[in-house]
Amino acid sequence: MLIGRIERTVGAILLLALCGGCGSETSSSTPVTAASLAGADADNNGVRDDIDAYIDSSAADADTKKALRQYAKAAQSSILDANDAGKSITHVTERFRALECLMARRPADFHPVFVELRARILDTNPRSEAYLKADGHAAAVNIPLLPADQWMGACL
Amino acid sequence: MNGVSLKLSLFLALVLGATPSWGQFSPQAACQSEAAPRTAIYYVNGVTTTLDEARLNGGKLELEFLTRLPSMTPASLQSSCYLFFLNYNPTSGAVKDFTEAGQQRLGINPSDMWRKLETLASLGPTMVSLLQGPMTQANQIDQAAVQRHAEAYRAQMTSPLCRRVVVVPHSQGNLYANAAYDAAVGPSPAPAPAAGALKIVGVATPDTAVKGNGRYRTSTGDLLIGAINVVLPSTLDANTNWGPNPILTSFTPLYSGGHSFMGYLSFDDSRSQILSDIQSSLSEVNAVAVCQ
Repeated sequence: MLIGRIERTVGAILLLALCGGCGSETSSSTPVTAASLAGADADNNGVRDDIDAYIDSSAADADTKKALRQYAKAAQSSILDANDAGKSITHVTERFRALECLMARRPADFHPVFVELRARILDTNPRSEAYLKADGHAAAVNIPLLPADQWMGACL
Repeated sequence: MNGVSLKLSLFLALVLGATPSWGQFSPQAACQSEAAPRTAIYYVNGVTTTLDEARLNGGKLELEFLTRLPSMTPASLQSSCYLFFLNYNPTSGAVKDFTEAGQQRLGINPSDMWRKLETLASLGPTMVSLLQGPMTQANQIDQAAVQRHAEAYRAQMTSPLCRRVVVVPHSQGNLYANAAYDAAVGPSPAPAPAAGALKIVGVATPDTAVKGNGRYRTSTGDLLIGAINVVLPSTLDANTNWGPNPILTSFTPLYSGGHSFMGYLSFDDSRSQILSDIQSSLSEVNAVAVCQ
């Protein structure tokens, strides 16, 4: 126990020392891709064009790309309808189904795949705030989860 | 996360033996029988966990559990049907504060903030101070959520559902699970649930105890809980790790800080020990007669 506590204390000191450079390490030169909340969606498929392009260019297989697009469409709807509580709950449910589909398609690495896609979707403060506002509407709602054997059925 | 760090994290996952071995799951045999007992397993999220991350964390718990289930003993554990639920701890306000502070203090753009949310929650020098209050002070947790969680557990344990319950909270979720415990198992309102039908298996707990003689696992490489432990030495001691060198493992790109639920269930010994704790807790709750 004592060794563990010393190790954690050393770790805590290390983090304070090492993270002095966090800002410079993580600042990105990636430009904001669109000024508006909605962004451009030339093909009107419910997914921003820059996100469509990212999914198309990724190395994922066709089924994973469909799962990513399913999530992206639900997230875009969440952003656009963030002021509507009822629609927000519906869209969080849609996001859950898309994530269950992604877990079925990529059980070994769904988490990093999700993190990167969401980071690209929430590329501006207004979009990030809208996403969190939508979450706020659904936070106290019991949204049903599909069991693992039904996740594949969540894929659209 | 850029491409290099993503590849590095996946490489490290392979090196560290974190590659899961599950395939697509068939329905649990016990769930096909209406007569088979049902047990509810709840995941409760910590602070800075959005609904999407909470869903994925719950999914990870379900996948790892179902992978382990066929080898769990006693064999009677196979005869129960396990149902998974999420009791969400609302954190959108905290995430908003956190992301704003991250951008202002660390100069990070929104996308990178989302990529590094879990990293910065554990590592950011100005971030730890933002989280310590909500992580350790019971008066800073949402009482409406505590009540909602308690009612959900109680409904599971009483008629007509008559299920046993195991709660797996992560991080601040441990405060919620402990706070909900007494209300969930108390004598009123009638009917009272059977004693011992609810167990908690805490993960990365910032608390000083686990209600109901529950179990917990905190990693020696968990830098956020480690920082809290420095300030509040009564915090439960670390008792697991993410590998032979927990400090090194805690700096893997995806799981930096050694605090994420996904990391706890991706690396051994923590993964196997958490699953063993769940297994032991299930054995205990399954021995309880509910709705008698």
